[in-house]
Amino acid sequence: MLTAEEIRIAENCLAKALAAGARGARVTLNKSLMELFGTLNGELDKVSHCLDRSMSVCLFVDGRYGTFSTNRLVENELDDFIKRSVATVRMLAEDPCRELPDPSRTAKNALTGKELELYDPAYPDLTSDERLRMAMEASIFKNREGDGLISEEGEYSDSIYDTLVMDTNGLRCRHTETSFEYGVEMTVKDSGGNRFSGYWWDSTSRLKDLSINDCGETAFQRATAQIGPVKIPGGKYTMVVDSENSSRLVTPLTAALGAFSLQQRNSFLIDTLGKKIFPEWLDIWDRPLREGRTGSRLFDSEGVAARETPVIEKGVVKEYFVNTYMSNKMGIAPTIEDVMRPVLEPCVAPWLERPAAMDRDGIMALVGDGILVTGFNGGNSNSATGDFSFGVEGFLFKDGKIVHPVRETLITGNLLTLWGNLLAAGDDARACKSKAIPTLAFADVDFSA
Amino acid sequence: MYKEGSYYLDLFQVTRQGLEELVRAGIKDGGSYSDLFFENTTYHELLLRDGIVSSGGFHVDHGVGIRVLKGDRTGYAYSESTDMKAMAGAVKAASMIAAGQGGGDTATIYPDRERSVGSGDASHLRNCQMPVQQKADRYPMVKDWRDAEAKTLVPFMERLQRTISAKDPRVHKVIISLSDQVSDILMFNSLGELTFDTRPMGTVAASIVFTQDDRIENKTVSRSFRTGVEMLTDSLLEEMASEAVKGVDERFAAKRPKGGKMPVVMGAGASGILLHEAMGHAFEADFNKKGQSIFSGRIGERVCREAISIVDDGTIPGNRGAVNYDDEGVPGQKTFMVRDGILESYLHDRISAAHFGVTPTGNGRRESFRYAPIPRMRATYMLGGNSTKEDIIASVKKGIYVDQFSNGQVQIGEGDFTFFVKSGFLIENGRLTMPVKDINIIGNGPQALADIVAVGNDPKVDDGAWTCGKGQSCPVSCGIPTVLVDSLTVGGE
Repeated sequence: MLTAEEIRIAENCLAKALAAGARGARVTLNKSLMELFGTLNGELDKVSHCLDRSMSVCLFVDGRYGTFSTNRLVENELDDFIKRSVATVRMLAEDPCRELPDPSRTAKNALTGKELELYDPAYPDLTSDERLRMAMEASIFKNREGDGLISEEGEYSDSIYDTLVMDTNGLRCRHTETSFEYGVEMTVKDSGGNRFSGYWWDSTSRLKDLSINDCGETAFQRATAQIGPVKIPGGKYTMVVDSENSSRLVTPLTAALGAFSLQQRNSFLIDTLGKKIFPEWLDIWDRPLREGRTGSRLFDSEGVAARETPVIEKGVVKEYFVNTYMSNKMGIAPTIEDVMRPVLEPCVAPWLERPAAMDRDGIMALVGDGILVTGFNGGNSNSATGDFSFGVEGFLFKDGKIVHPVRETLITGNLLTLWGNLLAAGDDARACKSKAIPTLAFADVDFSA
Repeated sequence: MYKEGSYYLDLFQVTRQGLEELVRAGIKDGGSYSDLFFENTTYHELLLRDGIVSSGGFHVDHGVGIRVLKGDRTGYAYSESTDMKAMAGAVKAASMIAAGQGGGDTATIYPDRERSVGSGDASHLRNCQMPVQQKADRYPMVKDWRDAEAKTLVPFMERLQRTISAKDPRVHKVIISLSDQVSDILMFNSLGELTFDTRPMGTVAASIVFTQDDRIENKTVSRSFRTGVEMLTDSLLEEMASEAVKGVDERFAAKRPKGGKMPVVMGAGASGILLHEAMGHAFEADFNKKGQSIFSGRIGERVCREAISIVDDGTIPGNRGAVNYDDEGVPGQKTFMVRDGILESYLHDRISAAHFGVTPTGNGRRESFRYAPIPRMRATYMLGGNSTKEDIIASVKKGIYVDQFSNGQVQIGEGDFTFFVKSGFLIENGRLTMPVKDINIIGNGPQALADIVAVGNDPKVDDGAWTCGKGQSCPVSCGIPTVLVDSLTVGGE
């Protein structure tokens, strides 16, 4: 997708930066194209065509550092852009911790951008008529109009992303990816005029793998299932979080393991590396090198090579996410700047019997009674303490079976306590998500309602 | 800060004739309306960390968004080049909507009567004239950010860091960010309306980590204005530094209260984010047009007590949510959504206004030229009432007083909302007692609105760096007087 001329311009920028006085430079060239066809109640509602192109430049000048970007890839304008950028960096304070990554750590295997099999060769042949047809045929509005459905908003979109990272130490990494997505939101009304919404989506790097026709019915079922909510008494419940939402509870953990938080002491996982903090049946790996899997990448934004590594293994914290700058600043070894494709492995607490099916229903049957969370509605966690409070929606279940929907409900606690009460993790992580987190079950969660 | 019209035409290297050709091409295949949104934005950012401003940079974003409507339906494309060939290609992509299938209605985009120079009929374009620009610029810049070098801004950041650190020995780390952006905007549409604007925005934020014994607390303070470099005053510095360390004792002493349903007093100012999320979104006309909002079909109905009026205001000079024009070229204005307890108006862009047969309210906003405009809030706040803050607190036997929310979320259809309380107090027998933190309150927007039983006489618009996300980001502000909500669910131990 990137043209030879665009790549030549980016290469020239590295040379221009050195000529203007930079000691080192990194250029990231991004280009993407998205086509979108949206429907409202079964009729075409919007069409979008979005072509983006931008170049960002990181400059290392006289021990100083700055980042700059432009979408004006015009040769004569870039001369001035680079000169002004270098001049700006010179006005900043020296920071000896800023430097390009050691070339021995950078990726050498991302040459074509297509090594991870995330590019669909059928993409260039896809026509607007076919896109329109998929968007229109996915609608179920006419089938469900008499069933309380008042609004159906669907969007088919596809994209191609092409990224090239180069630096003055010889780094050259490329990542090319196609993406096909369909999402639909259904709004239904009950007999009292109350509205309930349900959303479902699928996304894949190859069009043939896109499950587009199931989305409407799933979204409709998710909306209607919420009709007739009951407020539950507050107290401690077993909580099951479905795989559509479970990553919400993992993100604060990986964020707390990031060096930016650790260095500022704004993390509840300070000084935990190598220590057993979580239950020994919890394993979270970073697996970014899997071909064809959403979220896979061969390199981070510095060009540092990605690797498969345990983040939490048998409950022990195994990895901090440390880029070159933070490594120098904290005096610890660099790793990768952030988790790329976290995978939480299936598990069951040792006093429970592993069920035959490790999906949502199997996990609910395993734990018996509790509350199934199918959506988060706001809330936050304190990055320094791990204290959290999230709004949730979902269903009360007994003997593994859903009884009724619940709403206006909060969960409150501390993330370390919550994860310490992990009962089970399923094997049903959604393939369309870059965080492969399955259905999770926790004991003794405080619900307020 | 307006410049002459020729400045904008030259910047984007377009002519009046070229603009007319483009919009004409947009509607020639059956489109009912077409518009162009040119944007050239320069961003600067500086970051102070560990006592030094050691990273910074600038960013340039330039392009044009092209929209073609057929009735309610939208075709949208953009080009990062403003040469005629590239723009013609984007027009062609956007005008696919006119050739798309489906009949649908064909509501007409109503021209603003004072500035109208034609109708949707392309033939009128030949006689179009320059609309009258807004006379009172709501965000003039005395000193343009684009002329400010980093070395003139760094001292302010360093002084702010030193001032914060000097105010409390528990300050462990301070991160200061200073960012600014200036956008030159040119808009033209098939009604013949040519509009231009220059929009500044300056934002200062301080993130502080406090330590006491082995415990850690954090806090963030920000200020954001549509103004120039002149916003960086000594008084702003002192105001931010004082706010940064205010309430730290309480934060370390704070506990989670016992949860349950109870009265909640919202402190004046930043609590307005609840108004924005829990009620404001439900007033946006796109949700009501689709029947998704709980307020759909309720114009003219009483939705809360008579003492309550809620406005969305784009006219506050220098405010983060101020607009001379919205991103469809409609003049910024002050819109009463609720007046004296009666639902008076939704917030409209041109599409929804045409659908409902009303005049656009100037709420058609977008993140950048990459996005089609949709109804968005500006500065959303509640007007003041008659009660004092002290009387409101004194009227509560047992409840919660909230003085800082961090974030919130709402489900438009259901109206359910959740907000995270960064700090507040228990109210016991009419007095503020134990500090509380890190809890959520949850409720239903329309119900909470109906449950407001007292409105303070201390209305305040918060000047923090609020950004609304609705598929695309938009700067907004919010405000509220002290109010008492009779019953909300508070999460706790």
